[in-house]
Amino acid sequence: MKKLFLVVLLIAITFNSLKADDFTDAMLKAKKNLQTATNTYDEKALVKVRGEFERILQLKKQEWIVYYYIAFIDYSIASSAMGEKPDNDKLKKYTESGLNNLEKSILIRDDFSDSYVLRYALNFNRWVYEQDKMADIIAQSEEAKGKAEKLDPENPRFYLMDGMATFYMPEAFGGGAEKSTPLFEKSVELFNKRVEKESYYPEWGKDLAYGFLALSYAKRDDDGDKKKANETLETAIKEFPDSSFLKEYVKKQLESK
Amino acid sequence: MNRFKPFGMVILLLLFSAFTYAQDSVKSSPAIVKGFVKIKEGKFIEGANVVIEGTIDGATSDDKGFYEFETEETGDRVIICTALDFGEKKINVKIESGETLILDINLSKTDFKTDEISVTASSFTSGDNSKVTLTPLEITRIPGANADLYRAITTFPGSNQVDEGSRIAVRGGDPSEVLTILDGASLYNPFVFSDDYNTSSFSTVNPWGMRGINFSSGGFPARFGNVLSAVLDLQTYDVPQTSGLFAIVGLANASLSGVYSKGGKFGATFTAGTFFIKPYLKLNGIDQDYNPTPTTSNLGGTITYKTSTTGLLKVYANYSYDNVGVRNASPTYDGYYTGESKNFFTNVKYSFAPTAVSLLSTSVSYSIYNRKESYGVLNDVSDNVYSKVRSDFSMPISQAFDFGAGLEYEYNGYKVDGTFPIYSYNLSTTAPSFKLNENKNNGRVGSYVETKYKPSANFLLVAGLRNDYYTLSSKAVFDPRLSVVYRISENSFIKGATGIYHQNPALQYFVQGNTTSIEPEQAIHYILGYEYNRENDYILRIESYYKDYSNLISFDPYNYLTASIGSGTAKGVDVFLKVRLKPKFNGWISYAYTDSKRKQYDAANLTPADYDITHSVSVVSTYNVTDRLTVGASYKISTGKPFTPVSGSMFDPINNVYIPIYAYRNSERFPTYQRVDLNAQYIFALFNRFAVAFFALNNLFNTSNLYQYNYNFDYSNRIDVNSSNKRIIYFGMGLQL
Repeated sequence: MKKLFLVVLLIAITFNSLKADDFTDAMLKAKKNLQTATNTYDEKALVKVRGEFERILQLKKQEWIVYYYIAFIDYSIASSAMGEKPDNDKLKKYTESGLNNLEKSILIRDDFSDSYVLRYALNFNRWVYEQDKMADIIAQSEEAKGKAEKLDPENPRFYLMDGMATFYMPEAFGGGAEKSTPLFEKSVELFNKRVEKESYYPEWGKDLAYGFLALSYAKRDDDGDKKKANETLETAIKEFPDSSFLKEYVKKQLESK
Repeated sequence: MNRFKPFGMVILLLLFSAFTYAQDSVKSSPAIVKGFVKIKEGKFIEGANVVIEGTIDGATSDDKGFYEFETEETGDRVIICTALDFGEKKINVKIESGETLILDINLSKTDFKTDEISVTASSFTSGDNSKVTLTPLEITRIPGANADLYRAITTFPGSNQVDEGSRIAVRGGDPSEVLTILDGASLYNPFVFSDDYNTSSFSTVNPWGMRGINFSSGGFPARFGNVLSAVLDLQTYDVPQTSGLFAIVGLANASLSGVYSKGGKFGATFTAGTFFIKPYLKLNGIDQDYNPTPTTSNLGGTITYKTSTTGLLKVYANYSYDNVGVRNASPTYDGYYTGESKNFFTNVKYSFAPTAVSLLSTSVSYSIYNRKESYGVLNDVSDNVYSKVRSDFSMPISQAFDFGAGLEYEYNGYKVDGTFPIYSYNLSTTAPSFKLNENKNNGRVGSYVETKYKPSANFLLVAGLRNDYYTLSSKAVFDPRLSVVYRISENSFIKGATGIYHQNPALQYFVQGNTTSIEPEQAIHYILGYEYNRENDYILRIESYYKDYSNLISFDPYNYLTASIGSGTAKGVDVFLKVRLKPKFNGWISYAYTDSKRKQYDAANLTPADYDITHSVSVVSTYNVTDRLTVGASYKISTGKPFTPVSGSMFDPINNVYIPIYAYRNSERFPTYQRVDLNAQYIFALFNRFAVAFFALNNLFNTSNLYQYNYNFDYSNRIDVNSSNKRIIYFGMGLQL
């Protein structure tokens, strides 16, 4: 009887694994497509891959990581709405959707540091269309920031986001390139030794950390930093040859200085 | 044979499982599913997700709304289509092996994913709800409002300032018919200089400390008891997430506020402020005769502690003090009216979620308002004590039903000790008077049940019933209330509300009448309106109302004692138009028509109510010149308020005074009231810290608005006493420390 029980258990595990593998395969495929879409900052590709993740929810309805990725894509599309042709309606639509999807993710799993990093980032976007909710935005951002750091003090994306917030904040209010530089340096350092626990966990951000580090170096009033900026960009492009952020945005910014 | 038995079973199980798996997913030669996703009006939707339920087979529509995918899932299936901003649509289809299924999907308005309806009749809301109408930033930027929440509310239709101060009269009602609720506790008299002669009142509530602000000028739900006209429902912030200090120094005031946070679990805030008027009077050339000069000070704060994931303990306390002496020449006494008040309020609230979806909150509050006043023979001290314990429970029963219930007990004690004139017209120091040392107290037990019914995203019904029992008069009242909102389109609503409302008269009337048989005053509200609200950027509200009053306090013509024999009506229309053109412009126009008549106090018949302001218009606009500089302008014009004129007088040789003969109550009106205010705010960095400079020019054209009429000794000459709010320059600065 014991043997029978073991065999039934084995069968159950086999079938569950089959389903889990379907999920993992779908996740890895979608994650790869996401990487391509974010590398090229192709909004249409981002919308398409968003649909892929939404469909994965048909396999596992309560999967926190899927909601996380949908929220991340919402964040990416929202960020593109702040580009050369600002589109406030789109920014708000995707930021609100991102926060909503993140909420679903956190409700299922509340100890994933990257979820709070993303919440921290999404709350930045609210400044553009909800200046009148200053107190709430500050409270939400600070709470998310605190939780992200507490849950994983070695999370490179936390330092990346903190660096970006500092970089864009005027020096008069405690921001500026001087203060953001060590945060981006720390982020790159942590990315270099980071190994994610699962193959489908997020890995985004290293090209951004490199890029913003280069921009921070360039913005500081020190001639030596321009050289550092170019060297950093060179290293980054070698590692991320397809990154349009590095090749098109950061490079142009450095050339214009 | 026995040895093979388990293996036989294993094979059987495997076969069975494989069969089940195959049943679960019938696979054959691929089929193609394709089509367009569009809204009914024909516009294609990009980014819509089309998927076969239970599988990952599907596609995302492109910028022409087209989608196409291959699948091996054949047979009767369900296709799910979702798109951002739209709800989920399910379609039953039959997919045949090797065939192409063309499926165009129309998403219509009924599939539109709508926000939960947060619009309710007669309410202006800020905070958690998506349909925000008033924000703390807007409050601080309204010219003439002096960053005062209550004054900001008077720029909305239906509410009028009392004596250009912070107290509010709503839809022709008395200011005492407006109740402020803070974290569930009743906050009585949150003002300094609240009743002082020609000295505008200021509120002690800091709008920046509020997580939610909801002002309802009628038709409010059953959870609010013992209030006749309007409710200002305030919720303070939970655990603060930052630490810091902020100082403000202005021409007449200085304050320091701070916030402290530890680990996201513990937080504290404080505000301390004081008021000094001499530089302000000197700069603005105000020659008002004060003795003593007005002073105020206040100290308040909160302590919050998160006891568990859902548990939150919140303590709020505030103390304020004011003192003023203002020269006034009445027919019988020329001297200083002096008033001094001390006000302390505290509230302890604990809330937690007993289950995953329910919320239980309990609060205990205590307040004491001590007031001294003197003018001629009048000299008295009074204490008003309020204490309340309240519990509220809420939980969703289903997707369509929310349930709420609550219980409260409130104690109110009133004590008065002093000398009062026998005749209100004779206030000289030697006038006939009487001593009064009385106290009265009342207990009120209130309870309510409330249900929120949302049968669809377009319909909301709130029905409730409350019961209050007043221990002093031994009277019980039952108040059914109903509110309905119907969404006509994404941004348009029709709304209506009706209900019965009761409020116990102030205990001073029980003392004056030396009676316990005064009944709670009653009002029945009927409200019908329309609202268009697009993301709080474009708002148009038109609302009509009718209120039927009974049991109002009136003086019995036979013995002149207070009795519940008054009555009245109020009807009117409120119009509100707001436009916000982000990020530069924000402005609104509000208009209110009011016709409020009451047989109240000494009125023998229905006469205009004390705050019956027939027409009232407010225009408010703010403009962000740059990211750092904001300027604003506002204009107010309204019909003058009613007053009771003196139509003659008679000499009293015994007391050597003239006795005024009054015309019918409120039979004349003050001249039209109007005022233009300007302000500006500039944000900058000082010592690497956030700083803000502000400037205000109130009553730009120095319009003389009437405060009251005084009379000479024999009442033959009526003298204008204008409001002390002349053209005033005010400036100051705030700095983060």
